[in-house]
Amino acid sequence: MSLAVPEFEHACLDREGQPLALRATAVRKSYGGRVILDGVSLSVAAGESVAIIGENGAGKSTLMRICAGVVQPDAGAVTVSGRVGYCPQEPGLFDLLSADDHLAMFAPALGLSRAQAIERGRELLAEFAFPVHLRAQCRHLSGGSRQKLNLALALLGGADVLLLDEPYQGFDHGAYVSFWEHVEGWKGAGMGVVVVTHLLADSELVDRVVELRVAGSRLEAV
Amino acid sequence: MSLRRILVIAKLTGVELSRRRIALGLLTALPLAFYGSQVSRGSDAVITGGVAMAFSVAGASIFVALTARPVDARLILAGYRPSELLLGRLLLLELFGLLITGIFSAIMVFGSDPIHPWAVASGVALVALTSVPFGLAVGAVSPHELEGVLILIGVVGVQLTLYSTELAAKFLPFWGGQRLLDHSVNAVAAGAAVPANALYAAGLLALATYFMTRRAPAVGGTKRHPRELLRASRHAPV
Repeated sequence: MSLAVPEFEHACLDREGQPLALRATAVRKSYGGRVILDGVSLSVAAGESVAIIGENGAGKSTLMRICAGVVQPDAGAVTVSGRVGYCPQEPGLFDLLSADDHLAMFAPALGLSRAQAIERGRELLAEFAFPVHLRAQCRHLSGGSRQKLNLALALLGGADVLLLDEPYQGFDHGAYVSFWEHVEGWKGAGMGVVVVTHLLADSELVDRVVELRVAGSRLEAV
Repeated sequence: MSLRRILVIAKLTGVELSRRRIALGLLTALPLAFYGSQVSRGSDAVITGGVAMAFSVAGASIFVALTARPVDARLILAGYRPSELLLGRLLLLELFGLLITGIFSAIMVFGSDPIHPWAVASGVALVALTSVPFGLAVGAVSPHELEGVLILIGVVGVQLTLYSTELAAKFLPFWGGQRLLDHSVNAVAAGAAVPANALYAAGLLALATYFMTRRAPAVGGTKRHPRELLRASRHAPV
């Protein structure tokens, strides 16, 4: 039996007629014979924030990677409206390059000049109180600062869907509060925001919480 | 494919590589040590030193490939093509290889007075040029730096123990360079050296490209219209 994949026009609206930013349908993924995700579906409307919670090993990060297009699912489909901004759990950074170097490296891929990328990137980093000199190599940054750069790179090109996998690990309290204020701003700008989290307190800060359960994970609204 | 993207990757790869000063120093010292240890024994030191150049250039290439691996997915997701990333690194590393070739060839020509000095430079250059795709391919298939370096030591070590006239040597990646170096000091025929190495280098580059593309995100780019991002290549009942 083949999987039914939604048509574009249907994929772009949710049941209440809101434009959809992201739609994952019946996603299945297994590694080495172990099923991680089994028929997981997720829809996120433009201007909506969704938290994904679940135990360790439930497949939250795998689902994020699949939604970002980094990993191919065994079955299912993912549809997005526009550009995806993906902030992985582990900051993928070059240890010997500075924040400015990273911004310059991402610039041509995002259609920005080096100057534009550095200006925009510095603004983003300043919003999260990036504390050290921008010429410092990443190996000299704290975990929280690396994560701030990770987040800034996800936001650099402008995104319509933000997939943030525990984006505030290592943040101090001020940066954590600032992060959630920014989520409100991103929602207001029409972005769909998905945040993977372990913190139950975060469930109060989003529009919707869904839980992934271990072993053949399926999403359930909480 | 964008020249600007290739050049940006080449430039920042160079910045990153230049900050590995100790590793680069050790890698460069290694072939010099091989050459220096044999220079008093005769002209074969040129062959040993020239082939050992692969440690420098392939080692640097392995480091570059493995360091970039965790970032490549995001770069491709942002809009880079895997081929742009590969070509940028290839460009920088080949230039690095040719720079070392010039210095190292001059040392060996003045130190050993070979029959054909031009063949020393050609042989070392061939080793260096092949070392880049070799290093990128090893970096693409190795899970960590340790495994990559062990593969490098194994392949170059075996090449060093064989004479270029032996059949087994012809199946190793640096045979062409080894043969030219042999020609420079012993005047053996070296007609097939360049085509053999070119073929090997092309094969290694194809291998590196294959693994990089295979690991790359399923999607990437800057499209802003609704689109199907991913669909499973095989569909299962749900």
